[in-house]
Amino acid sequence: MKVELQNLTKIFPSRSKKQGEEVVAVNNFTFAIPDGKLVGLLGPSGCGKSTTLYMISGLQKPSSGKIFFGDEDVTDLAPESRGIGLVFQNYALYPHMTVKQNIMFPLQNLKGEDRLPKEVMIERAYEAAKLVQIDELMDRKPSELSGGQQQRVAIARALVKMPRVLLLDEPLSNLDARLRLQTREEIRRIQKETGITTVFVTHDQEEAMSISDIIVVMKLGVVQQIGKPQEVYDDPKNLFVAKFLGTPPINVFEGKVSGGKLYLGEDAVLDVPGVSDRAVYVGIRPEAFIPMSDGPLQCEISNVEVMGRDVSVVSKHVASINPFVRSIVDADNKISVSDEFVRFYLKPHKVFLFDKETEQRLYFGNQKPASIEEM
Amino acid sequence: MAEVLKKIKFEKWKGWLYLSPAIILLLIFTVWPIFNTIRMAFLEDFNTLQASRGAVFEIGFKNFEKVIGYKDFLTCLGNTMILCVLTVPLSTILALVIAVCLNSIKFLSRFIQTIFFLPYVTNSIAIGMVFAAMFNIVGSFLGTDNQIVQTWGIVNEVLRAFGMEPINWINSGSDYWANIWVMVIYIVWNALPFKILILLGGLQSVNKQYYEAAKIDGTSRIRTFTRITVPLLSPMIAYVVITGFIGGFKEYSSIVGIFGDGMGPAGEKGKLNTMVGYIYDSLSLHQGRASAAALILFGIIFIVTMINLYVSKKKTHY
Amino acid sequence: MFDIKKISEKISSLFGAKKEQNDTSVLKTMEEKDMSRVNRTQRVVQVLVKIALYAFLLTMAVIVLFPFYWMLISSVKSLEEYNLSVPTLFPEAFHFENYVEGFKTANLGQLFLNTVFVGVVSTILSLVITVLSAFAFARLEFVGKNALFAALLATMMIPGELFTITNYQTINDFFGLKTLGNQIGSKFLQEIGNWQNTYTVLIVPFLVSVFYIYLLKQNFMQIPNELYLAAKVDGTTDIKYLWKVMIPLAFPTIISITILKMMGAWNSYIWPRLVANDDAHKLITNGLRGADFTVDSMVHYPRQMAAVAIVSLPLFLVFLFFRKYIMKGVSRSGIKG
Repeated sequence: MKVELQNLTKIFPSRSKKQGEEVVAVNNFTFAIPDGKLVGLLGPSGCGKSTTLYMISGLQKPSSGKIFFGDEDVTDLAPESRGIGLVFQNYALYPHMTVKQNIMFPLQNLKGEDRLPKEVMIERAYEAAKLVQIDELMDRKPSELSGGQQQRVAIARALVKMPRVLLLDEPLSNLDARLRLQTREEIRRIQKETGITTVFVTHDQEEAMSISDIIVVMKLGVVQQIGKPQEVYDDPKNLFVAKFLGTPPINVFEGKVSGGKLYLGEDAVLDVPGVSDRAVYVGIRPEAFIPMSDGPLQCEISNVEVMGRDVSVVSKHVASINPFVRSIVDADNKISVSDEFVRFYLKPHKVFLFDKETEQRLYFGNQKPASIEEM
Repeated sequence: MAEVLKKIKFEKWKGWLYLSPAIILLLIFTVWPIFNTIRMAFLEDFNTLQASRGAVFEIGFKNFEKVIGYKDFLTCLGNTMILCVLTVPLSTILALVIAVCLNSIKFLSRFIQTIFFLPYVTNSIAIGMVFAAMFNIVGSFLGTDNQIVQTWGIVNEVLRAFGMEPINWINSGSDYWANIWVMVIYIVWNALPFKILILLGGLQSVNKQYYEAAKIDGTSRIRTFTRITVPLLSPMIAYVVITGFIGGFKEYSSIVGIFGDGMGPAGEKGKLNTMVGYIYDSLSLHQGRASAAALILFGIIFIVTMINLYVSKKKTHY
Repeated sequence: MFDIKKISEKISSLFGAKKEQNDTSVLKTMEEKDMSRVNRTQRVVQVLVKIALYAFLLTMAVIVLFPFYWMLISSVKSLEEYNLSVPTLFPEAFHFENYVEGFKTANLGQLFLNTVFVGVVSTILSLVITVLSAFAFARLEFVGKNALFAALLATMMIPGELFTITNYQTINDFFGLKTLGNQIGSKFLQEIGNWQNTYTVLIVPFLVSVFYIYLLKQNFMQIPNELYLAAKVDGTTDIKYLWKVMIPLAFPTIISITILKMMGAWNSYIWPRLVANDDAHKLITNGLRGADFTVDSMVHYPRQMAAVAIVSLPLFLVFLFFRKYIMKGVSRSGIKG
């Protein structure tokens, strides 16, 4: 099922009447989610990603804009008539019901012609349980399950009525690190197997990048960038997106462009043809640094962290906004803390320039904005 | 579109539908009485009988003046005050001591706790009758022929066993203070369970680490009690004191339990009457005065509660 | 420990001049105390304190229990034994016929039925109203919600006596219906305007308890809102959600409310005395207090105590079975009944 959001906007009235300020949680969100894809809504807390999810689910009504499932306008439809499955952050399992009762609960709400015979309900419940591999636990209460198992029950409950769209609200945030890895693969598998268009919300960029077909980066209610994970990582549209994606995070410098050259402090570090003279923010991915004895960028080493295949060099530079510059280099480079300084050459396609005022991307050389149409 | 609008509107007002039974009943039996009672209190010498015959009443403070001027009312006010002032501190301190003791034992703790809670699940009229029997001078005219044998109730027998003179507690011709002490004992007995429950609950929620720290520092038991337990418990103490005063000012049925409807020993009707008793006495004939008395009662409770809150805010340590 | 002691002794002998100062140091005093002796005295003190604690608690417990004991033994004494100049602490013979006589004298059978009927009906209705109201306040968003809730809480401050005066008028002449009936000669209006001596008057005025609404609302609010949203996504109606999820989850509180409400009916005295005095509607407490146990111009106390014991028994049974719920409910209320 294709899900289309048109100019979706949600405005919350202010809490205190005195100030009269409204909060725009989601601002003019337009996007068509292709059928059968897994989409990650990504952003820091308060960016409007959960509100967007709740509007798709129907639990919240948009202040303006429209939502389509396929060609059907569902904007004013009640949540139960939309054919969605929703998994909550804390799973929202009914604590007094067994796993089986929990999974069957949505089916028992169907009325009239949609109502299934009891055997079919049980069969469907077991099918859903099997899909998430909890069919052994059907008679337990939620309190007797681990976090990961509860999560699966919640997904089974969302899937049991065969929703047109599956929505997941921070599905992994209540799990420990090991389970998180395992569960995200599981979600990916279930989504692929069922082919249900799935939207999930997360604040963890790694999580979003690793399993999504498409990610949507949001900030303060405004969509910053939409694209395939790798594209968004390689080609951030603005400083926020560049900073938000990637571990270790991107290194940000203050620099200026003068005569087609990029200056960090006193040093000209890179040719940036096509950018007029101005002050810029420079984002340099950790993997952009190549140690070279005659490299243009000189940094003062403060630590070298060995990671096996790679080495993480922690160093200082006057123009850096962060206290340290972190670069990932090949272990073959034999850099040690005792070398006081290190010089780097920079890979041009891993260096991003942003206007100092607007923080929007400035393209130079061969760099070109990618378009979503390619998807 | 119209249907959607209708649905949105309904959502906005649905809560009122769920609340409607409660609201209707509250309007009839709570909200209307507030206005009507205030109205009657300020209509001079109001009573329903004359009102239904079309009498007109002047607006003024005459009801209040009359009520305050009545000797009966002053007796009631006095009795209520005395009972409050005696029972609230006594029951609070006793409950606090019992709660602290209960909190520091393990063996039988639950069992003893249950015993202390028993008076709560009683009918205060019924058990009042038991207390009356215990303090009574029973069978004063029993015996053969014309012989009069004075027998005393169990309480007096206990006193006699300790070599004290029997006291006429509640029978006709008894002393006012003897009556009051019987009431104080009964009210304290009745009030203990609730106070122990609240204070013990408070004690159990106090972080044990405070006590462990005090132990390591070698703090004495008394000092631990006054410097740690009482301050940490101050919100609960404030709560039981406030509810104790509110309950004390509304004292009525425990007196009926011991002395009966007459609110006093035989032949001395109304000797131990209280504010609430006064209101009920004037309820059916002098609604104006009853209303004025009820407003005075409300005023007193309000002021005492505010004073208590103010003091406990200053004394509450967190 | 031994080593430290030795070393410190050595040090102090080395610095003989400073010995006096060292005596006051913490290390010194701690070490010089004979620890085993300290331990022993501490243990003795602890045991003594424990004994004192138990002695105090058990004495208080006996005092608290004594009225119940007195009630029970008095209820089976003969009148002669009860009136002995030195009361016996244990009955010479058990006269259980006092219970039969007491039951008859106070007409407890009829009173019992009346009270149970009033208790059950008012508890059920009150629960329905409380649950609906608590649900609305806990889960629904509607115009004027906060103001309404604040207004409800404010009424809890007002003593009930203030309402009773007007309510007594209201039930005697329901908003002028009886007067109207008198004027136009309508029997029907006269009847529905006058609630004296009906079950309605015992039940209806006290159906709404703001406190119970508050209690249950707090309980409902602890149930995560996501459960409600999940149910909405699944197409559950509000009523079904209330019935299937909220009530089961808040069941302990609902039991607490039920018991306290039933106990309230059992113990109510003042209002029933005002409005229901005929045999068909009189409640048990009034019947008991009003019953005349006089035999040959003397109060037959054993029978009276037997009747009191019968009235108290159901309360004790309920307490025995629902102790946890009662104590939980009470610790949050402070309202008797």
